[in-house]
Amino acid sequence: MAKKVLVVDDDPDVRLFNTTVLEENGYLPLEAENGEEGLRMIKAEKPDLIILDVLMPRQSGIRLYRELKTNAGLKDLKVMILSGIAQKTFLRSQQALTEFGENPVPEPEFYIEKPVDADVLAATIKKAIG
Amino acid sequence: MKIRKLLFVTKFEELGYDALKALLSMRKSDLEHIVFLYVIERDQVAMRRGLGYQKSDAVRLKEAANIRFIDWAERLFEQGMEVGVYIQVGSLAAEVAKAVRKEEADLVVIGRSQKTAMEQFYSGSTVTELIRRLSVPVLVYKPVSESPFVTGTPFQRPLIATDWSPASLRAVDYLLELKPLIEEIQLVHVVDEGAIEGSSVMNAQKTRKDVKERLEEICSRLISAGIAARSHVYVGDPEEGIEKAAKECQATVVVLGSSSKNLWVERWVGSTPRAVAEKSVFPTLLIPPVME
Repeated sequence: MAKKVLVVDDDPDVRLFNTTVLEENGYLPLEAENGEEGLRMIKAEKPDLIILDVLMPRQSGIRLYRELKTNAGLKDLKVMILSGIAQKTFLRSQQALTEFGENPVPEPEFYIEKPVDADVLAATIKKAIG
Repeated sequence: MKIRKLLFVTKFEELGYDALKALLSMRKSDLEHIVFLYVIERDQVAMRRGLGYQKSDAVRLKEAANIRFIDWAERLFEQGMEVGVYIQVGSLAAEVAKAVRKEEADLVVIGRSQKTAMEQFYSGSTVTELIRRLSVPVLVYKPVSESPFVTGTPFQRPLIATDWSPASLRAVDYLLELKPLIEEIQLVHVVDEGAIEGSSVMNAQKTRKDVKERLEEICSRLISAGIAARSHVYVGDPEEGIEKAAKECQATVVVLGSSSKNLWVERWVGSTPRAVAEKSVFPTLLIPPVME
């Protein structure tokens, strides 16, 4: 059975690009357009991988990543950040939230800064979930 | 009425990162989430005579806005803020209303309207349109370069201009929630010159005393909540009186209850909140009337 990959991104063009790459490489793509919808789908579908944008309406990827990594039932799900926001910013923001008293979270295993090349994306997904 | 999430509506030239930075002082109260909204007005990309909808122009404008927002968002994320973005093609007031609904924003921040007096007469003022559609307060922010009198953070020394309307009295409740940001509140009522014209000195003094007493009642409420407050009575044109009071009190923001007049009435007779929001050098916070 094909592995499920959830793409959480508010930009429909990016979702189309990512889901096309996923389909062409034999994965089953799922889509959500913001962090809140993403979390609902994660709980319902338990995808093998989540490809997560950072800057989105309703709930950012920074907040969703934090929710996943501090939730006992979800923290082991694999997450790849794919964003125009620099990796160092993502890490600093998580650090700032920890300094404000929230629980520390691990660094994301996979981080790609946009724009992404289809081959690089496919190779990173393969590395993450085979 | 806590301000946890604000919607920052910008076209970049009238409202920039400096304004955003000043508003970050609101983190001391409850602010934790900023949502950016950039609206590409329809006439910039559509309805071009003989050309129709110019999708490539919309894409170019969206990408340019996105690049600016990424830069702003990175700075805010690094300070532990939550950030979101909307870039939409449509009409400004309608898109602001939509974003407020989707995000459940507590405050809308906009820049001064760029429309000319003639455009405002025919198409309506942006401020009027927003107030008519929104149930949340609107802060009309003015750039520091335009406001030589304004020093300090936006809610450090608010001046509430009250006309005793329910919306202007709601302003008091609103500011109570911002207590950690406030140094002192000034309360002002501008008595219409006509009300004392031709009356005796005694009657004029009685009017002043009555107004002062009403203002002092509100001051007492603020003081018992732990916020320093002073009252002032001015006489004359409300718009001029409010501006004068704001300068003399070194206010950092003028707070008014917004008018509930309908569009046509307002277009012909005008309204003080709208005039202050659009003409004053001071940032202006408009508190809407309670929606029926």
